Amino acid sequence: MPPGTNAVTTSTSQSNPSAPLVIKHPIEPDAEPAVRLREARLTYQTKEGNPLEAVSPTTLTIRAGEFTALVGPSGCGKTSLLRMIGGLIPVSGGDVQVFGETPKDAQRHKRLGLVFQEPALLAWRSVEDNVRLGLQLNPRETHSSTDVHELIDIVGLTAFRRYRPAELSGGMQQRVALARALAIDPPLLLLDEPFAALDEITREQMRYEVQRLWGISHDPTDPPRSAIFVTHSVPEAVAVADRVLVMSPRPGRIIADIPITAPRPRQPEHEHSDRFVNDTAIVRAALRSPTTPAVPLDAA
Amino acid sequence: MVSEPLRELDHLDAQARRGIPLAPPDVRPMLAWVLPPLIALLLLAVAVEIWVRVADVSIWVMPRPTTVIENFFSDFGLYFSEGLKTLGVSLGGLAIGTAAATLLAAGVAHSNILERAVLPIAIMVKVTPVVALIPLFIIWLGHGWNPKIAIAALITYFPVLINAIAGFRDIDPRMHDFFRSVDASTWEIFRHLRLPAAIPYLFASLKISVTLSLIGAVVAEFFLSGHGGLGAVIWIEQNNLRLEKVFAAVLMLTLIGVTLSTAVVLAERLFSWRLDQPVAAA
Repeated sequence: MPPGTNAVTTSTSQSNPSAPLVIKHPIEPDAEPAVRLREARLTYQTKEGNPLEAVSPTTLTIRAGEFTALVGPSGCGKTSLLRMIGGLIPVSGGDVQVFGETPKDAQRHKRLGLVFQEPALLAWRSVEDNVRLGLQLNPRETHSSTDVHELIDIVGLTAFRRYRPAELSGGMQQRVALARALAIDPPLLLLDEPFAALDEITREQMRYEVQRLWGISHDPTDPPRSAIFVTHSVPEAVAVADRVLVMSPRPGRIIADIPITAPRPRQPEHEHSDRFVNDTAIVRAALRSPTTPAVPLDAA
Repeated sequence: MVSEPLRELDHLDAQARRGIPLAPPDVRPMLAWVLPPLIALLLLAVAVEIWVRVADVSIWVMPRPTTVIENFFSDFGLYFSEGLKTLGVSLGGLAIGTAAATLLAAGVAHSNILERAVLPIAIMVKVTPVVALIPLFIIWLGHGWNPKIAIAALITYFPVLINAIAGFRDIDPRMHDFFRSVDASTWEIFRHLRLPAAIPYLFASLKISVTLSLIGAVVAEFFLSGHGGLGAVIWIEQNNLRLEKVFAAVLMLTLIGVTLSTAVVLAERLFSWRLDQPVAAA
């Protein structure tokens, strides 16, 4: 097992001894960056035919293994930036690379795991079949080592694996969506406000769930997984991320890049620490003064 | 692992969403739906019977309901066998019309150009009285079953086409994004996302089309009365002024229509039930 990895103990891990799940957290600064944006911008055409700039030219590097949170006011272009990285909308200019390839190629090689604000599950499929969906699609790129039952066990839904989504709570559905995204073992997770529709208590629990699941991989030789987490919640961003990017109101641009250096694994108690309170205050200050970067931007 | 409190909450949530176990089906609501129209129909028949007897209405104008019922049962074999022919034409047309409309809708749902090319023609055919095309179909397809099935198919395709297009397009955009994010093929998106999403729409259109197909079959049989069917019976017996036979044939058509519509509703309920219920007890 490579350094920086730990075996995960699960009740079903013995069922697939050839592919034990491992947890990897370290950021690999020398590895191929997970995401690289060079002057990437997005301009929409209004109904009147006028250009509307949604995302200003953005240059950004996200390292392999890095958990990056993206915060900003509503409509600032956070989701648009995420969709540009995921290849779901074409950039109007500049360049986006995901592990050194275009977003379309990253899709083709199943390098992206998407989780949305709503779980977006297939109502007619059971939990198990929803988790399996990503494996069934584009099967040439499917990793044979993925054990769906083990993943369902990790998200705590073994007892519900034959239930349909409508029978589950919002939090449970979102865990199914997370398991579905993880089933293809993607090196990059794109999380678009995944807890926005949940109640506060479930939200608090889920942010630590996501941290735990983010590091889980089937293949110990894979680079550590990266994640981009769009959220409106500053405490949520500070609790989970290695780095918080703050965006300005539209046209969105990254105006602050704030490192969060709290050690991992983080527990809920971390939110009572001075370090957490301080980091939260820095992010809030950057949000309140969107024109003045709170922290100098790294032009990487 | 997921924490114990969260696990407990999961069970409570799922329990609440599943609700109380299903009780054995209660027949009272069913009777409440079926009995009133049956009683109303019976009262109407009694009123007609009284009117025909009291006013001494000619049998060539309105036969007594009791005479119709008597004839229906005495010649039940005839109405049943001719009804089977009409049912065959109706189902054949429904199957062909539904299949063709669904395939066309699948193409239209994927292509705006195809939509712009095909939909105006589909609407043009829809607004053209189908009866006007029957002589052409007889010339093209002969005097057998084919023109009758073609008419039934033509009359049923439109509701299916419009509903299927709506169904194939009514997909969750985030779900579509998920499919795109793993580079799913067009076929995979259709097979796993668009087709299941369209099922409720297809059932809604079938409820309309199933009765339309019966209308198409009967109208075609009026024109092709030499090849049997209840439409032919009605046409011939109307010329013979044997109205009790006309009414008996109409009664059989009503029974076929009710049976077909009920079958579609039951199939839809069965399908919805399968969706609503857990795949298996956890």
